[in-house]
Amino acid sequence: MSRKALVISALMLAAVPAALAAFAVGGTAFTKRVKTDLLSDSKPFAPVSAEVGYSRKLRIDQVRGMWLHVQDGPNVGWVFSGNVAEEKPTDTKGMDGLPIGASKTSATAAARPLAPAAEQYGDRKGLAQATSDVMWLEGQSDAVTPDQVDEFLKSNQKGEFQ
Amino acid sequence: MRRLAVLSLALLAAVPAQAQFSLNLDSLVNTAKDVGKMSKGLAGIGPEEELTIGGSVAIEIASRYGGIVRDEAITRRVNLVGKALARYSSRPNLPWRFGVLGSQTVNAFSAPGGYVFITRGLYDTLGSDDALAAVLSHEITHVARRHALKIIARNDFFSGAMDLASQRSADLQKFDAGIDQITTTLFEKGFDPQTEYEADGGGRGLAITTGYAPGGLRFVLMQLQARGGDPQTTFSTHPPLQERINRLPADPPPP
Repeated sequence: MSRKALVISALMLAAVPAALAAFAVGGTAFTKRVKTDLLSDSKPFAPVSAEVGYSRKLRIDQVRGMWLHVQDGPNVGWVFSGNVAEEKPTDTKGMDGLPIGASKTSATAAARPLAPAAEQYGDRKGLAQATSDVMWLEGQSDAVTPDQVDEFLKSNQKGEFQ
Repeated sequence: MRRLAVLSLALLAAVPAQAQFSLNLDSLVNTAKDVGKMSKGLAGIGPEEELTIGGSVAIEIASRYGGIVRDEAITRRVNLVGKALARYSSRPNLPWRFGVLGSQTVNAFSAPGGYVFITRGLYDTLGSDDALAAVLSHEITHVARRHALKIIARNDFFSGAMDLASQRSADLQKFDAGIDQITTTLFEKGFDPQTEYEADGGGRGLAITTGYAPGGLRFVLMQLQARGGDPQTTFSTHPPLQERINRLPADPPPP
């Protein structure tokens, strides 16, 4: 590793405490996905020790870098700080009973097309080209799947794969 | 009593509504169903409404800023970086969409429901993923913290009208006027400075969590400032560059 890369890495590590300011031992965090895995170690490929559902309140009993050791009743384990929220999620459940677009376990919700009322809005305003553009964008965006984002994170060493 | 209270709320909501959008009051309170929807509008904006607003605002943005650049490679890159960031935001469950607008001005926008846009003029100045992530994370923070929805929600009447419109039972002409008013406010005047600084700080935190350089946004802003960007075409809907730079920690530029 070059000296410059080392310096940058050190500076990024130094910035971690600010990013984690809201998470502290004795504090709480909330799950924000339909399913959140708690791991047996503070590593992305560690075995899953427990699984918790959406909007669960977790008690933080240890902080290690960007990883939190948390507890929800009998469920205990490590979770990457980016996979939990500082505040209880307020997303209202959609018609499928899940939060709108809830994770890759609800891919049909994630790929929701332009709302019909929005499409009608574009028609009424004479914005056919812009409406078509937004629909094209939605198709392109939805083609980038959660699995592809996973692979992107792993190959670029981002998120919990840092 | 509860029904009476709901009706009273609906009537209270309808009065300023009529003043602003000249809606037909009779049509608003005609059925208990519509009254129920209006009371929901008073309480907040639900997911279906958010997607309807977001889609409508996204169409307006695309229309005003040169359309969407239909380049699959660019769009894929923006979506990979954007969705990586959004995964660690406080609202990972939104159907996030990231696109590049054809305009050569330097700006970025977001709309409720997970729509994020940057202009071609800005995209072309962002070399690294760190710089791109910095801009996208700022906009993601606006959406995640519902900054636009908070402005909309302040107008109780509009919330009610919007809810009705999403069910095709509203005065659509007035709904359109309301959306137009909102987009004009959001994308010509912009958010208030404090909201922008909050998005700068929140975006920096999101970038760090995701693993991008802490100094990405500061670097982008300093680059634009060094180029002597015309305030009319460079982040014209945001506070002055120097003010934003001053409020960010003095992180080094990305590698």
